[in-house]
Amino acid sequence: MSTNVRRVKVPRNYETIAWKWMRYSAILLIPLVWIHVLLQDVIVGVHDIDANYVAMRWATRFWQVYDILLLGFAFAHGVNGLRQVLRDYVHNPQVMRIIHVALFVFWLALTIIGAGAIILATQSVLAR
Amino acid sequence: MDKPRGLFMRNPDLVPAYLRPGMWGWLLHRVTGLLIVFYLLLHIWVIGRAAVSPQAFDAIMVTLGTPFWRVMEVGLLACVLYHGANGIRIAIVDMFMPHQWAISAQRNAVRWTIIITLILWVPAALYMLIRTFNPAFNLFT
Repeated sequence: MSTNVRRVKVPRNYETIAWKWMRYSAILLIPLVWIHVLLQDVIVGVHDIDANYVAMRWATRFWQVYDILLLGFAFAHGVNGLRQVLRDYVHNPQVMRIIHVALFVFWLALTIIGAGAIILATQSVLAR
Repeated sequence: MDKPRGLFMRNPDLVPAYLRPGMWGWLLHRVTGLLIVFYLLLHIWVIGRAAVSPQAFDAIMVTLGTPFWRVMEVGLLACVLYHGANGIRIAIVDMFMPHQWAISAQRNAVRWTIIITLILWVPAALYMLIRTFNPAFNLFT
């Protein structure tokens, strides 16, 4: 069975750019997240993860950059996904505007906390 | 089948028996996505403790090493693998082969997504569960 694909003109606005970036970040997140999960949850395991292990990883520039990329892409992808889900059920534009602002603050705060941890944790453990 | 009531009466499209495979794929994607976002919130907070004090971080990691949280972790892995496998399908179909959105094509695609998820998840889940109850068991060191 063949299906005809109807081409449509898509306006270039915030929503369509966010839509595209959900796809781009998805492709990037496959290696980033799956390698991260394979390493920490399967190979190393929660048993063997402590502050020293974390400090050891973040003493390497490579893993610092890796984890900041992970934080940046994964959490933005997640919060935008949450926004899309809410947009499906909240039909009041006023309420949606409040949700947008709240989600943005939530995303920014958590990203700053996470990035701060990645940069500061190593010093905190070494100072012990 | 009983007559749908309440939520299903108002939204006949949501009656599980009427859902097509593509819709199950969508529903699972949404549920696993939401679970992962709430996990990420927790995850960033827990890892953030490492910057506050190493002792606080170690204390949390002891809790997370208990069997209950290890089993939750195995469930999290299922969510991450399904959401990833289905997500890459969505991204590729959207960007390169939109004709694959045909309902008949989706039936097969969702089936393959679930098969790929299980192939990746089952061995990892078994390994993690064995390690939960026997930490000395280790294939990697």
